[in-house]
Amino acid sequence: MGKSLFEKVWDRHIVEQLPGDNALVFIDRVVAHEITTPQGALEIEHDFGDALYDPQRIVAINDHVSPAKDADTAIQAQVLRVWAKRHGIRLYDIGDNGICHVVVPERGYVEPGMTLCCGDSHTCTLGAFGAFALGIGSSAQGGAMLASCLVLSRPKVMRVHVTGKLGNGATAKDLALTVIASIGFKGGTGYVLEYTGSAISALSMEERMTLCNMAIESGATTGIIAPDETTVAYLRGREQQPSGAEFDARAEAWLALRADEDATYDTSVAINGSAIRPVVSWGTNPGESAPITGTIPSDADPTSLTYMGLEAGQALRSIAVDQAFIGSCTNARLSDLRAAAEVFRGRKVAIPTIVTPGSQAVRRAAEREGLHDVFQDAGALWTHSSCGPCLGMSMGVIAPGTRCVSSSNRNFPGRMGADGRVHLASPAIVAASAILGRLGSPDELEPLPLAQSRGIAA
Amino acid sequence: MIISGSILALDRANIDTDQIIPARYLTGITKSGLGQYLFTGLPDGPGLLATKPGARILVTRENFGCGSSREHAAWALVDHGFQAVIAPSFARIFHENAYNNALTPIVLSDELIELALRAKSATIDVEQETLSLDGGAPLSFSLDPLRKQFILGGGFMRYLASKIPTIRAWEIASSQ
Ligand code: SF4
Repeated sequence: MGKSLFEKVWDRHIVEQLPGDNALVFIDRVVAHEITTPQGALEIEHDFGDALYDPQRIVAINDHVSPAKDADTAIQAQVLRVWAKRHGIRLYDIGDNGICHVVVPERGYVEPGMTLCCGDSHTCTLGAFGAFALGIGSSAQGGAMLASCLVLSRPKVMRVHVTGKLGNGATAKDLALTVIASIGFKGGTGYVLEYTGSAISALSMEERMTLCNMAIESGATTGIIAPDETTVAYLRGREQQPSGAEFDARAEAWLALRADEDATYDTSVAINGSAIRPVVSWGTNPGESAPITGTIPSDADPTSLTYMGLEAGQALRSIAVDQAFIGSCTNARLSDLRAAAEVFRGRKVAIPTIVTPGSQAVRRAAEREGLHDVFQDAGALWTHSSCGPCLGMSMGVIAPGTRCVSSSNRNFPGRMGADGRVHLASPAIVAASAILGRLGSPDELEPLPLAQSRGIAA
Repeated sequence: MIISGSILALDRANIDTDQIIPARYLTGITKSGLGQYLFTGLPDGPGLLATKPGARILVTRENFGCGSSREHAAWALVDHGFQAVIAPSFARIFHENAYNNALTPIVLSDELIELALRAKSATIDVEQETLSLDGGAPLSFSLDPLRKQFILGGGFMRYLASKIPTIRAWEIASSQ
């Protein structure tokens, strides 16, 4: 019986089968950030003689509130800094940091076939590289630093087969939201989502990361995509990767890593990628979304609607928004900023709009292309990289009762600020909504004079 | 290990960890002191907690603890005095976090959850995996046989520490 890609990666990392359905799983790389790492690190210091299994396997990043917003968050960052220094752990800090799930791939810390964990649920982003990457709590994070292993029960595997090709303005974000809407926002619980099919192979690495980033939003342990030439091309030349023959040898091994032809899956879903349209969420979980041209479903959950201050049957494009946010580990890489800039170019925002790049490296790349001018000319705030308002901690927290259209991944009650309301969408939809002052898409915008649309100064 | 006390019923599904403890309170470096922020992400959460000040056992509906991996959710529950959470299902990360903090996570069928939501108190025998509602006949549940040991003795980190020699040997063998 053939094996899925996930099973192959899993099997290679089993140190020992444990009682129950559990296994001791070797972890190749541990990603540490300032919010969830100090607790485990301090426990190791107090109870286990400060001994880490292998500091070289750990990479640390100050990202969630960076720079710190107050004394408490400053202490968190400082604890991570001092700890990393003491153990010789590479730390990405103010000036050279970014959201961990953006920094780890762009520096080449993730590779096909690896296992990675981080005390952060969106670690599933890294599954885009054919790695088994999962979010865990702080105690498990401590365990992974202490022993380079996790105790895990083996997840089942769901094949998410996406045929056709994305078009008609649909992006990887629309695909991610569509997958969650079709399997349900707890439909992935207990599973790894293994994405296959022509629409998946056609995605760039950045798009694959957007898709895998939201696997957790269906409750799934993680997502995973088979490595291919796109993966190899992305990793070539990255900071932590070797060059020349050594890289080529790695690439050869990566390309051999794929599901068997006759792989069996615990369950499968099929999605026609060509039929996907731009969507936006209307409710209080990422599964509650609908095409932007449509209406709120008649059977919408009344509790969600009450919280969101909306009614069943309402046209999504009639919903006025108070703030727009382009950022987060879902959609703040260079291609996302380009997509947003395309919409902003030559236009003005109607509501407060914040654009936060996924990393400082993305920020610099965007500025080399002049995207920062496009955002600022449109009246948006262009910030340094951080998690920012995505989790309602800093840099643009929203007021109670207000509505934010966001390129992030969670619309839970209070996520971006107490009693605030969040609509999830792709960067292009967020940008168009920022200009319209209501939920809407780029095709609704007035066409620009030719000279302006080419970015030529008037 | 026996857990005995009054029940707080949170009759809602899909309580995510942002509602259990919003991110604005994740600014510490230790696991303690978070009980005061428990359920502040639920508009009526603090009021609900006030109705049952000494509750030891939380009963709720499916998919409890979904969303963010923040272990602060388990820490806040423990710090507030909860020793067990009963639900038809838990999100994976929360489920692991609960075991790692000796917050016994008990999965019951939908039918039994209805009874538990209406009960005033419960007595739980963690070793025997039985529970009695309002002094009634014992009902059985099952815990993960390994993670149960984390609750009963020593905790998760200590268990992993004991495995380090095995892990080192495996790593050497598998790199050859
Ligand atoms: S950007 Fe948002 S979702 Fe991503 S890691 Fe930061 S807080 Fe979490």
